Amino acid sequence: MVALSVILGAVVLLLAVLVAGLLRSHADILKALHDLGAGVGDPVGDAHVHTSGPAQAGAQAVPLTMGPALAADRDSTSAPTVAGVTPTGDALAVAPATAGGLTLLAFLSTGCASCAGFWESFRRPEQLGLPAGTRLVVVTKGPEREIPGEVAALATPGLAVLMSSDAWTDYEVPGSPFFVLVDGTAGRRVGEGVANHISQVAELVRRAEVDTAAFTLDTRPGRDVGIDGPARESANDQELLDAGIRPGDPSLYPTSIEDLYGPPDARMPAARHHVRRAG
Amino acid sequence: MPALFAHGIGAGLPTGFEGRIFKRQGSGIEVANAVAQFATFALPEEVGDFGGGAVNLMGNDDIFTVLFEYGPDSLGTRLFAHQGLPRTLATSDFQPHVLRRGLTGQSGTQWFFTEAGRPFTFYAVLGSHARRSILVPRVNRLLEGLAVEPTAAPAASGAPWN
Repeated sequence: MVALSVILGAVVLLLAVLVAGLLRSHADILKALHDLGAGVGDPVGDAHVHTSGPAQAGAQAVPLTMGPALAADRDSTSAPTVAGVTPTGDALAVAPATAGGLTLLAFLSTGCASCAGFWESFRRPEQLGLPAGTRLVVVTKGPEREIPGEVAALATPGLAVLMSSDAWTDYEVPGSPFFVLVDGTAGRRVGEGVANHISQVAELVRRAEVDTAAFTLDTRPGRDVGIDGPARESANDQELLDAGIRPGDPSLYPTSIEDLYGPPDARMPAARHHVRRAG
Repeated sequence: MPALFAHGIGAGLPTGFEGRIFKRQGSGIEVANAVAQFATFALPEEVGDFGGGAVNLMGNDDIFTVLFEYGPDSLGTRLFAHQGLPRTLATSDFQPHVLRRGLTGQSGTQWFFTEAGRPFTFYAVLGSHARRSILVPRVNRLLEGLAVEPTAAPAASGAPWN
């Protein structure tokens, strides 16, 4: 019984020493924060009293910040242009605040486990559930932090992927995955946050789209011009090939008006016919 | 000012511009050279070299430009005799009939030249010819920020169609 009491007393004594050590450590941390001007419940006036004393003459109140400070012309809703490189070595810049419509910036990494589901979802863009016209741009950290080959392996063709560490700083991204929705018509961020599944993100975008559509008038025409884009140029190339005209064909490099329209007596057959009949 | 650089072409983007500098995958007889596209609206992922699929999305206050490199076979030809990228364009340089795809209200300009020993064309489209006095200065600000470096090694011979 005596032995048990002695052991119990020793344990209590040991725990007391540990608690005292923790309290001392906590006090040191609070003191350090206090000296930095970020003490909990520490009013500015109180800091002034402490820093103006002779013993604290060298101390200055320094605001506690997380990461680099934002530029003076930016705030939590600004949406600066994102510029960087693609995994294949091209350059790409996206200006979501001035481009009109909604742009969803998906800040992803190659290594984070929770990002894998999003990379996989982006392989099937038709199943994402994003409103039509929403532009999706994946932003990874720059080539100094990510391996372009690994990013390229995850990026499906047709998906805009941009590598830029500056973009993570500009948008104050705390970690990945992180999503920012920008309304280009209003020129500002309208939503941001973390999600576990693409359906959560799609729901956020759908709600924003409803709000945007209710209060904006898009003046861009969106003209129907039939076959367009690279498909139009490919069709033109095929037409030329079918006609036996290959790159470098002399007919592509006319040097005179005759090269374009033939000799003068061969032009405008209808007019020539008319002249003959009149004569 | 956001900056882009790839394939020996650099660009400082004025406010409101976005862009891309890329090379298409060379296929068969076609040789891939550098293409730089800049616009004041959201460029679709798939855009023709000279704006096919994009110019029809332009609003009245929008601008689309492309700096397109030709193959080395074009070097020394009369078409590319002018030396240097145009840096200042006038409103009179833009005409509605200078459009690769004529869309009502728009106008364009196109210049062929050699810069840093590389043959290029610069093509620009204004969303509204009537607003050229406002839009052309923006094009000029973009031109001020463009830079071209000589290529390290000549590309394979061949002439792209565009």
